[in-house]
Amino acid sequence: MTTNSADVNGIRDKAAIIGIGETEFSFDSGRSELQLASEAIKAACDDAGISPHDIDGLVRYEMDTNLETMVVQSLGIKNLRHWESVSYGGGAGNAVVGHAAAAISAGYCNYVVCFRAANLRSQLRLGQARNPSRIAGGQGVFAAPFGSMAPAHQFSLFVRRYMHEYGATSEHFGWVAVTLREHASRNPRALRRTPITLDDHQNSRMVVDPLHLLDICQENDGAAAIVMTTPDRAKNLRHADTLTLVEAAAQGSGPLNEGVIYRPDIAMSESVNTARDLWARANLGPKDMDALMFYDHFTPFCLFNLEAYGFVPFGEAKDFVQGGHNIRFDGMLPTNTHGGNHSEAYIHGLTHTQEAVRLIRGTSTAQPPNKTINRVLSCSSVAQLSAAVIIRRG
Amino acid sequence: MTQQQDQTIKSRPMTGPLEGIPLPDLDRLPDYERGFWEATHNNELRIQKCSACEMFRHLPTPMCPHCHSLEYLWTRVSGKGVVYSFVVVRNPVHPAIREKDQVPYNISLIELEEQEGLRVCSNVLNIAPEDIYVNMPVQVTFMPTVDEPNVVLPLFVPSK
Ligand SMILES: [Zn+2]
Repeated sequence: MTTNSADVNGIRDKAAIIGIGETEFSFDSGRSELQLASEAIKAACDDAGISPHDIDGLVRYEMDTNLETMVVQSLGIKNLRHWESVSYGGGAGNAVVGHAAAAISAGYCNYVVCFRAANLRSQLRLGQARNPSRIAGGQGVFAAPFGSMAPAHQFSLFVRRYMHEYGATSEHFGWVAVTLREHASRNPRALRRTPITLDDHQNSRMVVDPLHLLDICQENDGAAAIVMTTPDRAKNLRHADTLTLVEAAAQGSGPLNEGVIYRPDIAMSESVNTARDLWARANLGPKDMDALMFYDHFTPFCLFNLEAYGFVPFGEAKDFVQGGHNIRFDGMLPTNTHGGNHSEAYIHGLTHTQEAVRLIRGTSTAQPPNKTINRVLSCSSVAQLSAAVIIRRG
Repeated sequence: MTQQQDQTIKSRPMTGPLEGIPLPDLDRLPDYERGFWEATHNNELRIQKCSACEMFRHLPTPMCPHCHSLEYLWTRVSGKGVVYSFVVVRNPVHPAIREKDQVPYNISLIELEEQEGLRVCSNVLNIAPEDIYVNMPVQVTFMPTVDEPNVVLPLFVPSK
C-alpha cells in the first residue's frame, strides 16, 4: 500500500526559528519596499545573532516586489543557494514558513529567511478596485461587471452564506474584533490600540453588508522577516535557551477555487483540507494546541478556522467566541495575542508566525498568564487556498 | 433563517447595470468564454455543458473538470434560480461607483435550477437590498450596459 503524502512529515523538528524582525507599521512608511525588506531582515538577523551575510536561502511571497537579486544586492548576501516564492499574498501566509523549514530540512541552505515587505497603504491598496476598464478574460469578467471588484466583496459572500447556514450574526464577529483590539491595546507595535466595545463594532460603518468596517483588516505599510536554521546551529545562537521548532506544515485548497465563490460549499472554508493534513502529519489534534494565530483578513474567518481545525464542531464557533473570553489571551484558547491583521498590522500573515515565536519565548505583550505555551497553531482560512504550521518549544 | 430586516426606510432598488466599471473586452476574450457573452447579446443565458458527461460548468474552462473532454455546447438554461448568497456594497471602492453615487448595490450569487452548485454572479434588480434573502427565487433578465451597449449583462429579478 502506498503512503499518503499527509502521513509523511519530512520536516518534523528539522528547522528552528532563530530570529524574528520587523519594521514599524505605519500608514505611510516614506521609504521603498526594498528598504523595508532590508530593515526587517536585518532586524531578524540581529534577533538571531547572525549577520545577513550568513543568509543563503530566501523564500519570498510571489506578490512581493522585492526580487531575490534585489535582496542579495541590498544585504550583501554572498551566495544564495536556495530561493523560491510562494504564490499569492495571504495565501502564502504560513506557507512561506513551511517552505523555509523544508529547505532547511532538505539541506538546501543553512540560514533561510522568509519575508514580506510592502507599502500596502501608501502604494498598492488591495482593498480598492484594481481591474482595468476592459477585462480580457478570466474570473474577473464574470464578477467585476456586477460590481464584485475587491476581496471584501467576494469573501463577504462566504460570510452571508455561513450566517445563513449556522445562524451566526454580526455580533459574533464583533466579539472577535473587540478581543483582537484588546490584545493590540497591549502591543506597542500595533497600529490600532484604542480599545473598542461591541457597540463600537456594531455602529461602525457598514462596508459590505454583512461586514462592518471593524470586521475588515487594515491596509498598512511595513515588513516582517523570520530566519531559520537547523536545531544544531540554533543551539549556539542567541535564543539557544528557547529552541523554537517547526513541527509540521500543510497547505490545502479544495476544488473549484478559481474566482472564490464557485466552490461547492462556501459556508465551509477550504482549510478543512489543510487542517486534516496538518493534524495527520503532526500526529496531533486541537487539544494539543496552547494558542492560535488565525489569519484574520476578515473577522468571520476566525470562526471558519475554529471549525475547520476542529476546535469546535461546525456551526458552534459563534457560541465559542461569544463574549470573547475563550479567545482572550487569558482564556482557553488565546487567539491572535498580537492583535492580528485586524489591529496590529496586515503583513500577509507573517506577523502571526512571529507572534507564535514570541508566545513560545514568553515575550508576547499579551502573554497568557499561568500557562506555558508549548505549541502554537498558525493557520489561515483564506477562502481559496490556505496554509498552516505548528510551532513548538524544543 | 431569513435575512429580511424590519426597516421603515429602505435603500433604493437597483434598476439596471452599474455604470463606469470594468466590462469584458469582447474582442480579446478567450474562445471558451466568448459564447457566454454572445448568448447574453441575444438575450439568452447559455452555460457551458460538456458534450461527453453532460455536466454544466461555470466559470467557463477549455476542458471539462469532471471528465476532461474538450467538447462542449453553449446550452441554453431557463434563467430560473435562487439567491445562494448576496451582499450589499455600501462603501464604494471604485471611482465610478463613488462619482455616480451608485451605492448601495447588491452582489448576488445565483444558483441556477439546472444543476446543484451551478452558480453565476450577478445583481438582483427591482428590490430593496433589505428585502433580498438567501433562497429567494429569481429569474434572469438582460440589459445592455450604458458604457458598452454590445455588452449585455444577465441580471436577475425576483420571481413569483
Ligand atoms: Zn465532462
